[in-house]
Amino acid sequence: MMPGSPQLLTSESPSLASNRLAGGTAGHRDEWRRAGTILTHRRWLGMMGALAAASVAVCILCLQFGATRVDLATLLSVMTQLLTAGNAEAAGGDTAATIMLHIRLPRVLMGFVVGGSLAAVGVTLQALLRNPLADPYVLGVSSGAALGAALAMLLGIGASMMLLPVLPLCGFAGGLLALLLIYRLAQSQGRLPVHSLLLAGVILNAILTALIMFITSIMEPNRSAGLMAWLMGSLTAPGYPALGVLVAYAVFVLALVMHKANALNVLTLGEETARSLGIETERIKKQLFVLTALLTGAVVSVSGMIGFVGMVVPHAVRLVVGSDHRLLLPASALVGGMFLVISDTLARTILAPAEIPVGIVTALAGGPFFLYLLLWRKDRML
Amino acid sequence: MNSCGRWILTGVTLAVAIVTGGSIAWACGEGGCADMTRRQQGILTGMPFMAHVSSRSFVDDAGRKMYLAKTPVRIVSLAPSVTEMLFAIGAGEQLIGVTDFCDYPPEAKAKPKLGYAHPNLESLMALQPDLVLAPQEFLKPDVILKLEQLKVPVFILSATTVEDILGHIQTLGRMLDRSVQANAIAMTLRQDVAAIRLRMQNMSPVRVLYVLNSHPLITVGPGSFIDQLLRIAGATNVAAQSQLPYPRMSLEVVLQQDPEVLLFPIGKAEGISDSEQQAWRQWQTMTAVRRGRLHQIPADLLNRPGPRIGQALTMLVNILHPEIAAGPSSQP
Repeated sequence: MMPGSPQLLTSESPSLASNRLAGGTAGHRDEWRRAGTILTHRRWLGMMGALAAASVAVCILCLQFGATRVDLATLLSVMTQLLTAGNAEAAGGDTAATIMLHIRLPRVLMGFVVGGSLAAVGVTLQALLRNPLADPYVLGVSSGAALGAALAMLLGIGASMMLLPVLPLCGFAGGLLALLLIYRLAQSQGRLPVHSLLLAGVILNAILTALIMFITSIMEPNRSAGLMAWLMGSLTAPGYPALGVLVAYAVFVLALVMHKANALNVLTLGEETARSLGIETERIKKQLFVLTALLTGAVVSVSGMIGFVGMVVPHAVRLVVGSDHRLLLPASALVGGMFLVISDTLARTILAPAEIPVGIVTALAGGPFFLYLLLWRKDRML
Repeated sequence: MNSCGRWILTGVTLAVAIVTGGSIAWACGEGGCADMTRRQQGILTGMPFMAHVSSRSFVDDAGRKMYLAKTPVRIVSLAPSVTEMLFAIGAGEQLIGVTDFCDYPPEAKAKPKLGYAHPNLESLMALQPDLVLAPQEFLKPDVILKLEQLKVPVFILSATTVEDILGHIQTLGRMLDRSVQANAIAMTLRQDVAAIRLRMQNMSPVRVLYVLNSHPLITVGPGSFIDQLLRIAGATNVAAQSQLPYPRMSLEVVLQQDPEVLLFPIGKAEGISDSEQQAWRQWQTMTAVRRGRLHQIPADLLNRPGPRIGQALTMLVNILHPEIAAGPSSQP
């Protein structure tokens, strides 16, 4: 890409470009580089410590709420049993303990991992695409995963979400296929221009959504209802083994992305700048892109489509901690985890004994906030 | 000069406006409005107003009235349950179009297919039906409107209770001159249901969870047809508190309510797979799991508010109360 070519101007906001060229002091520059927030070890540790403590507190608090009355005493006894005996056998035979240990606890943990993953992926994509609207769903990877799962359900092979998770595997395959397709679509001369990537994602999303809708329209009404319910987001934990697999995915991907946090910081200044500073932009973009798609595929295949976490949480966190990705990434992950745990607790309890899809709660909580940003803080957004 | 011209223009405009308005008002007073009133009178007096409901007119479940001058001979059914009813009362011959899911009785499979949730209107018109029987939930208002414009009589049947089904069978019997057969079937069904109700009076109800979908858990609640069948067959639905016909149910509440029987609807292309059923066995505290009472039941038998509800109820009773031998069920 030639400096100053139209592609460059379309792939990053004009204000940012003019900022860099003219050294202006518009709001956008403050957005990415807050004055006076040089990241020190002390600040990082303080912020992360506070957020980690808050996360633990939120999880313990949400463990107390549910459709059934399982009080703090049960929670404590189960916890002590769990810590002393160290396995599930200790809490056998007692319904309250089973509810706490095998339904509520895995579900809260699942919410935390899924929310954290979505938020971290959102941060990464927003930096990669230098587009505040980027979110795991924009790329169509989630739709691909959902389509894979829908096909599995249609063929009647996707059933068990527990021991042998056929459905997640199909979803994962679908997500990866979507990713490969996006690569083929958006690649031109060995490069990955940001705007064509976004466009490819949008188009692919439309196609995949249409295919999912087609599948639901030819399914038995009962099965399509189940599929739609799953698509709207569900954190019914398939049990600890599956949870462990998802945690492994999340930790693996987040560690690698954190490793590239500095590169992300430079990338947000624009690709020309990044390249002039000796960053291999194309290679890093591809790596991070594959990583985020992997994690998104894994998350979606387990929990369906939960929107807004990856879009709204990074924004809120950026307003508070600034935009140094070394802090923004882990902080967003923790806040995203908390956000989804709280949302899911509402989803579990509002209509008890019935539940509502958690995607509805996240959209209702996150949507208005996002509109507010869009309407009243346009200078900071676009 | 300029201002003068503007005044003249304004004056002329005003004059024209007054004259036009006046003439319109005058015309309306003289002819135009009189014409309207005359037409209105025509609406009030010129229609064949039916003070009585003749034996050839019917009111469907959407409250729409239909008058059949002669017995329909080219019928389209847009619901598997309606198809079953038509065959049951011996009107299968007149059936010229069915949905993709109409698979019972076997003869139904040979009929032309019209889709399901979005029936193909062109194929429908090409069949030249003189009666279309449709369920409320799968036919969109715009489709009904379109068919009305095309002068195709559409009759909506929406069944949520056993009584509805009996009523539908008898209505279809009257429509198609099959009243004798239809009344006999309705009578038998009514007796079967009453007998089962009577037998269940002295039984203590069994707590049941009906698993429509495992992940997330979806079951049947109050207001759904299956919930009513379960209650007739001597079951207490653990989702009774949910107040929704098809709730996403909290697994916590299920464990707390402790169902004694788990029911899995199964079918050809639908239903809960074996591995999914096995996964339910992880809930060791559940009475149903401890006693190994995870049962399968044919999905279309319970899902369809049709003439096979007698069989469905008998099967349910056999599953829920194996201690009593269910009486012979009558085959429609």
